[in-house]
Amino acid sequence: MTNMRRTLAGPLGAVVLLVVLMSLAMIVAGTSPLDGFSALFYGALGGRSQIGETLVATSALLFPALGIALAFRGGLFNIGAEGQLLIGALFAGAVGAQLHVAGPLGIALLLVLGAIGGGLWGAIAGWMKARFNANEIIATLMLNFVAAYVSLALVSGPLKGPLATGAETAWLDQAYWLPTLLPGTRLSIGILLALAVAVVLWWLFSRTIFGFELRAAGDAPEAARRAGIDIGRITWLSLALSGAISGVGGATIVTGELHRFNTQLSPGYGFTAIAVALVGDLQPLWICLAAFGFGILEAGGLAMQASAQVPKDAIHVIEGLIILVLAARRYVAARAETTAV
Amino acid sequence: MPEPALVLRGIRKAYPGVVAVDDAHLELYPGEIHALVGENGAGKSTLSAIAYGETRADAGTVRASGTVGLVHQHFELVGRLRVWENVLLGREPRRGWRIDEAAARSRVLAVAERNGLAIDPNAFVETLPIGVQQRVELLRELDREPAVLLLDEPTAALAPAEIASFFATVQGLAARGAAIMIVTHKLQEVIAYATRVSVMRHGRIVAQMETAATSVDEIARAMVGGELPSVAARAATQPTPCLSVRALRAGSGETSVEDIALDVRAGEIVGIAGVEGNGQTTLADAIAGMIPYDGTISFANEGAQIGVIPQDRHREALVMPWSIVENVMLGRQHRPELRRGATLDRAHARADAQRIQERFDVRAATLDVPVRTLSGGNQQKIVVGRALIDDPNVVLAYNPTRGIDVGAAALVQSRLMQARNDGAAVLLISFELDEILALADRIAVMYRGRIVGEFERTNVDRGAIGRLMAGLS
Amino acid sequence: MAVLLISLVALTLIKATPLIYAALGGVISERSGVINIGLEGMMAIGAFAAVVISYYTREPALGILAGIGAGALGGYVLGIAATRFKVDQIVAGTGINLICAGGAAYGLVLIYNQPGASAQVPALGREYWVLVALAFVAAAALHWLLARTPWGLRIRACGENPAALASAGIDPLAMRVYAVTLSGALAGLGGAFLSLGELNLYSDGMTAGRGFIALAAVIFGRWNPLGATFACIAFGLFEALQYVLQGRIAWLPADAMQALPYIAALVALAGITGKVRAPAADGVPY
Repeated sequence: MTNMRRTLAGPLGAVVLLVVLMSLAMIVAGTSPLDGFSALFYGALGGRSQIGETLVATSALLFPALGIALAFRGGLFNIGAEGQLLIGALFAGAVGAQLHVAGPLGIALLLVLGAIGGGLWGAIAGWMKARFNANEIIATLMLNFVAAYVSLALVSGPLKGPLATGAETAWLDQAYWLPTLLPGTRLSIGILLALAVAVVLWWLFSRTIFGFELRAAGDAPEAARRAGIDIGRITWLSLALSGAISGVGGATIVTGELHRFNTQLSPGYGFTAIAVALVGDLQPLWICLAAFGFGILEAGGLAMQASAQVPKDAIHVIEGLIILVLAARRYVAARAETTAV
Repeated sequence: MPEPALVLRGIRKAYPGVVAVDDAHLELYPGEIHALVGENGAGKSTLSAIAYGETRADAGTVRASGTVGLVHQHFELVGRLRVWENVLLGREPRRGWRIDEAAARSRVLAVAERNGLAIDPNAFVETLPIGVQQRVELLRELDREPAVLLLDEPTAALAPAEIASFFATVQGLAARGAAIMIVTHKLQEVIAYATRVSVMRHGRIVAQMETAATSVDEIARAMVGGELPSVAARAATQPTPCLSVRALRAGSGETSVEDIALDVRAGEIVGIAGVEGNGQTTLADAIAGMIPYDGTISFANEGAQIGVIPQDRHREALVMPWSIVENVMLGRQHRPELRRGATLDRAHARADAQRIQERFDVRAATLDVPVRTLSGGNQQKIVVGRALIDDPNVVLAYNPTRGIDVGAAALVQSRLMQARNDGAAVLLISFELDEILALADRIAVMYRGRIVGEFERTNVDRGAIGRLMAGLS
Repeated sequence: MAVLLISLVALTLIKATPLIYAALGGVISERSGVINIGLEGMMAIGAFAAVVISYYTREPALGILAGIGAGALGGYVLGIAATRFKVDQIVAGTGINLICAGGAAYGLVLIYNQPGASAQVPALGREYWVLVALAFVAAAALHWLLARTPWGLRIRACGENPAALASAGIDPLAMRVYAVTLSGALAGLGGAFLSLGELNLYSDGMTAGRGFIALAAVIFGRWNPLGATFACIAFGLFEALQYVLQGRIAWLPADAMQALPYIAALVALAGITGKVRAPAADGVPY
């Protein structure tokens, strides 16, 4: 009974809370919740193109959320997914605009470049942590801003596309576009890659020695060190891998949907992904589900703003509250467990 | 008979699934030193927390004639604050907005003098030795002039000489009319310094005696509720060289070690006696390869395996939210029989865990429960079982029975003895001299980072060891 | 040249001011044992609330007070989450940042019917120099309070060993909630200075990571109010430099120069960690 209550309380509670808060935000904005929600759900799931947009957002959130989960499981607060995603996208976009390699090989190259870009960006923080014990939270946060300004400077100057009006690179040759998954929408097969990464991560955490050592370092660093685990290596490696996953995500946005690099390409996916990872309890397969939920909010939020005049930023407030409440709920459950002993 | 200073009547406290204290009655009189003894989990801590007012009882009454003070086992001091700041925290003398520092210092000096304790009120606590830190902890309570003073394992970290001077202070306090209760498991001290003793078992007070009319054995039997479990017998072995330490220097500051020479042979247990904080942790970390060192640590056979039982099972040995099976893999994840390429062989790990569960009588519903949910004794059995499962040539055991019940302790000690009988070289570091005397074939005493004396089992002199532990020769 | 130097000094002080307020908030919070990663959000909500109240009352001073209040509210929520509910401090702070930034953006649309930025509102005139001076006074005052008063002693004990404070009969959790609330109030003041002192409007993202830089300044300042203030002046200088140098260095584009303070923070972070010691219980739930 208590077990059932506990397993249901989480997701169910989160959904109820979500509905209540969203209703509140809609009422404040002068819209009835009924109109608001129907606008949101129609906007997210009302047709092929709507579903396509929802899945585009799902994919864009899933990559950084998985990256964040990898770092968090290793005990490292990587708050820099946004910057890692951006640099991954920049690498892919900058090279993609000049590329002359056979199609599929070129696409693969761009994705690898995304991984390298994001991985490098994550590795900087990892190296600083392993070498100087510099706080990774502040380092990854700072790197977000450095990424934003550096990429802005580059695509406003040397990398700016010849015909571009804003801060963006030239378009990619059509040969380097990821194939469309859902005809008539922007959804590319990038989302399949994201799901594959989720499966690989699940396998990594639950089956491999590296995953075992990573989790040990995260859950009990001193015991891990005494078990012969090289914490420094785990630190920079997990931040680099974490960044690489976000970087691939950035590259799929470039090759899959935008077909160029643009400094506005992420409306804060890297931050929302923190909520996605936490709601998914840092478990890769649950994160897939959470990403879909947040994808509905992201895509539906735009529609809600347009047709029901509820500002889509309400969604971010609610994401923040979900982070607070879900983490609090975890504690309450843990407390129930320890006092029962 | 004078009025009691503290009366506990019909105290009951239950936590989900366990009754911690059940119908306990206790009266403390001014001038007495009352010892409260019992096994881990018998309810001593809960009862003293209730007496102090930290925990609320489910039933029963607590009546005290004045202030109740509590000195914690783990000092609740702030290392980076000065002595006077620690003593007067929360009761700072003021002058306007600011703390009147001159008044604070003289107040601390006055309390110290009244109780015969020497202290520098301006010193930073983290720079003081453990024995002096305890004085600070004591001063903080004495400043409140308690009618009742509860002391939780107060001598756990003190050397024998410090213990004597500590009890001199306590006896002086009692003579001036305070009622003292000492929670302890050191029965020798109970007999030597307490006037009365209460024994707790399974949450109840099962015996109450005048210390003048009882003995260590009688108290111990009352604690366990029967005969003490026995430890495996010592078999004859042919000790051959195994672990050899020469000119070892490691660590820095208070806990560094210097000029350590030590041999542990296969088939013997070498015990390191000493008071906490005399370099034992540094020695253990150097041998376990956890810190850099100068000098040599060598093993007789190539590729010798070392099984380590760290001193802090929660922090250094186990991952508390993980299952028993996963914890059994920890530290062994690269062993050939546990890995299949890049992945772990969980079936093999489960079989290992099962073997440990059987050999060590680990009480757990399944092997998949988080170790966090197990009792301390069962957790420690897993730590010891894991250290011994691969039949290591060398076993490094650091306080292997600290904080666990008598039954589990006897089992752990038996398994260490068996490892020795089977030809392992066992290095036992313990703060419990009794444990060393019971298990070791040879004893080395550590003081301030050096080995200051060695004894064979056949010519052990308890008094001499005690003096060496205190830095007296 | 002299003119350039004077304007550089003045600009440095102005740019340092909001950082100092936020960093002092960070010092209080961390000395009590809570890492306040939500400073950024509290600055943002403070900046926004200040603009809204000034907009409705036409009274910028009231706006500043509102900024303080809004920041304090954010701090209080973080404090409660991090103590009573034992939410991880970093997770809770991240949540607060999302809520504050999202809340301000939501409010912009509701009140001004436009995303991105508010209307222009009555702002502080020359009086903002009072707030600049006050930042330095506050730093000195906080230094004195922490070192010399019972209040300061208790905050320090709380961040080093909350159990010691508890056994002295003071609830460390209440102490932390109170410290983080105060921390939020200061961050809110820093935010209000941004929106009503330097400018006369709120725009999305205007805090631009200043809360995080302030957090770095706390570390470089060794958790000491005066040290943190010096660190903030250094960051303020980097920020001021990019305005003064703009157009003077041909090969370095303006956008890249904007990355300077963040890169400076990164380099300093790598250089100083290991040489400093955080409060023993900083970031550790009690």
